[in-house]
Amino acid sequence: MTEFLDYIVAARSEILALFLEHIRLTGLALAAAILIGVPLGILISYLKPASKPVLAFANLVQAIPSMALLGLTIPVLGIGMKPAVFLVVIYSLLPIIKNTYAGLMNINAQTLEAAEGIGLTKWQILFKIRIPLAMPVIMTGVRISAVSAVGLMTLAAFVGGGGLGFLVFSGIRTVNNAKILAGAIPACILALLVDRVFSAVETLVTPISLMAGANKEKKIYQKKKERILAACTAVLLLALYGISAFHPKEKTAIRIGTMDFSENETLAYMLSEAIETTLGVPVETIPDLGGSSICFTSIQSGDIDGYVEYTGTIYVSILGNEAISDTEAVYQISKEGMKEKYSLELLSSLNVNNTFTLSTTKEIADRYGLSSISDLKKQNGRLRVVSTLTFLNRSDCLVRVKDLYGLTFADEIGVDGSPRYTALLNGEGELIDAYSTDGLLKKFDLTVLEDDLGAFPPYYAVPVFRPEILEEYPEIAEITNRLAGQLSTELMAELNYLVDEEDIPASQVAHDFLKEHLPEFARRDSM
Amino acid sequence: MIEFQDVSKVFQGKTVIDHLSFSIDDGEFIVLLGESGCGKTTTLKMINKLVLPSSGHIRVNGEDISKLDTIPLRRRMGYVIQQTGLFPHLTIRDNIEIIARMNSGGKETDEIESHARELMEMVNLPPDEYLDAYPSEMSGGQQQRAGVVRAFMTDPEIILMDEPFSALDPLTRAQLQNSLLEMQAALKRTIVFVTHDMDEAVKLADRICMMENGSITQFDTPETIMKHPANDFVRDFVGPGRIWTSPELIKTKDIMIHEPVCCRPWMPVFKCIEIMSQRKVDTLMVTDQAKRLLGVLYAESLIGIRDIRRAAGELMDTGFTAVNPESSIVDLLTLFNEKKLSTLPVVNGNGMIEGLITRSTLVNTLSRQFISDEEEEPA
Repeated sequence: MTEFLDYIVAARSEILALFLEHIRLTGLALAAAILIGVPLGILISYLKPASKPVLAFANLVQAIPSMALLGLTIPVLGIGMKPAVFLVVIYSLLPIIKNTYAGLMNINAQTLEAAEGIGLTKWQILFKIRIPLAMPVIMTGVRISAVSAVGLMTLAAFVGGGGLGFLVFSGIRTVNNAKILAGAIPACILALLVDRVFSAVETLVTPISLMAGANKEKKIYQKKKERILAACTAVLLLALYGISAFHPKEKTAIRIGTMDFSENETLAYMLSEAIETTLGVPVETIPDLGGSSICFTSIQSGDIDGYVEYTGTIYVSILGNEAISDTEAVYQISKEGMKEKYSLELLSSLNVNNTFTLSTTKEIADRYGLSSISDLKKQNGRLRVVSTLTFLNRSDCLVRVKDLYGLTFADEIGVDGSPRYTALLNGEGELIDAYSTDGLLKKFDLTVLEDDLGAFPPYYAVPVFRPEILEEYPEIAEITNRLAGQLSTELMAELNYLVDEEDIPASQVAHDFLKEHLPEFARRDSM
Repeated sequence: MIEFQDVSKVFQGKTVIDHLSFSIDDGEFIVLLGESGCGKTTTLKMINKLVLPSSGHIRVNGEDISKLDTIPLRRRMGYVIQQTGLFPHLTIRDNIEIIARMNSGGKETDEIESHARELMEMVNLPPDEYLDAYPSEMSGGQQQRAGVVRAFMTDPEIILMDEPFSALDPLTRAQLQNSLLEMQAALKRTIVFVTHDMDEAVKLADRICMMENGSITQFDTPETIMKHPANDFVRDFVGPGRIWTSPELIKTKDIMIHEPVCCRPWMPVFKCIEIMSQRKVDTLMVTDQAKRLLGVLYAESLIGIRDIRRAAGELMDTGFTAVNPESSIVDLLTLFNEKKLSTLPVVNGNGMIEGLITRSTLVNTLSRQFISDEEEEPA
């Protein structure tokens, strides 16, 4: 609890900024959903044959897993705010369309006949009779959408869109409950607040005569109360929105993306800061772009100009080669392949090999007598692996280990991110995959099993850039070389430990590193 | 003036209106009457183009409405349906002023309101109490009063009413019918009113249009329809004894004895006595050559007359009470009770004898409503 409060106090400005961003994104998505959904609902209430397919489509979209839809959106809309807002709009549409349609269709036929009979035009009937009568039902739909949009918008962080999800995802990744709560609780409060505000709006738009209860004075009083509440909230939200919207934003020349784990972030921040300091151009670091594939898609679409990739990933996943353990060959073939196939430039390796390992607790290692992967043979078929989905599925990971060492496992459980460490400690498995530079290895004092047959390919961190950027700023290659001169796998593990376990922001760790090892790259501390 | 000329309506292959032709004069109160499904509501809705005819022409003031713009046409007509016709989210003020305000383009709001107040007074709906009320705060009868006010608000030439009172309880319905009659007497609109209630039709209509299976079976005054139903359908619809719900429609001329026994003033008493005994009557009508009634000769006034050659003219009663053939049976009963009469001559405007009413005529007529097998029209 105190940990949580400490975190809140320490990171209050970041939390507030993310909170405002969350409101802004949700508001934007909701506004778009209303602007699309309400007219669509009206349209299908007039065009009856269209109502079934439209509602069926909205229902279908609702059934697609949100992560899948988000993934499918990235190649088209890129990363950042756009795909996140798009996703939330899509999911918010159904309740709005459905309720608009239902509200308009459930109006007493006699009322409509009277309206037509006394000589109101079609538009007058729509705006003076149908919409006012349907308004309470429409607003209920909007309210449902608004509340779920607040929750759904946490996914924005997954594609670099920001918002409170950033805290939640970072918290999950670093097994930092305070951080998760710092994201989740404001999201929760925001959802409740939105619900309350929209319920006030709902009361406001309900014609007095259609409100429940018989006491007119009471109803008028209630309306007045709700009006004040809604007005106050609207003013508050507008003010907050204004603050977040007018937040000065530098124009950026170079955008560097990061994957969703500390090391990649730290390396990206190092690059960004070194480039910014050396070249004097603004560099934006876009954190948390999920895994390699999102970063790769983003650099191809031009949403980012560079990111730090790993040679093994390029060699196997991107270029589709069979895994080998020759470090130099992997680098050379990757460099040429990226250039030929994707017109992307690989700079020199950063001298950090973040390859896969199979690791376990000291206790388990002792119990089964494990020190290398070959030792697992003795326990063949008896141990359970808890690993990331990537590790389970890639041909150069678990599959290759099993082939090369002739191993089988009792179970292979896919768990993404840090929770697999928790699973290992809770005895839900005996082995986990871990990156060789992972700070958590140190935190939980795990034993890394030696890859005695060389199953895992080399995974050297290497910056990838778009050639246009390197043409414009050729100095980036030299900056990379200088960084590589100071980095090592062991040092990286230490830096990761600082981020993951000491809760020092990746950008700070990067800055401190530069200050200590390459002071000319470090940003001047503004004091 | 509303004219239907050979109008038909076919719905999904079924003929609902079958070659309808009729016309309605300005200021007439017409009731379209029939069972549900007879096409009366469809006929009404064709007047404001809520339903378009499949063939034929409908003219309002000589203009074919299919060539007129629908919205202005509808705004020239008032339209009242059952109480759900009021818009539940609007106050009574907004409900009844909505079209008037649109027509005036947002001006003359004071005039509109004072007109609304005036009309509300006419239907006994106190404006101060109800202008700002919502329909849900009012009883069904009050809502329908507001509905009637809305129809009259724009001073339309034509008012269409589709079973406006049928959901109300009988007492409220009667009050609204009276209010409507008062308004109509004061404002003289052309009203087309749909109902399935014969009593309502008889009470309100100048003329009733009886409909069956999409065509007109009889289009006439309530009186004629009751007394001379065109066919069995109308007779069944009117029902036995229906006339007794409106006794004022039973006229003297319908029940009187035609060609009463007469004599001339120069006739001697013995001749008169002879006629009386021959025709088995105790009263003679003394008329001149032109059948003008001069007096009444009673048998009792001849008793004890010595000179039987005296003329009837000397002995007849000239202070007699006579009645007009158009007087209702109610008037007759009143007269008979007040003046203790036994006979009552029926005399037209020119003083000519038309017939005679006796106590036995009245008893015969009145007994007819209780004796069900005697369904002939009153003679």
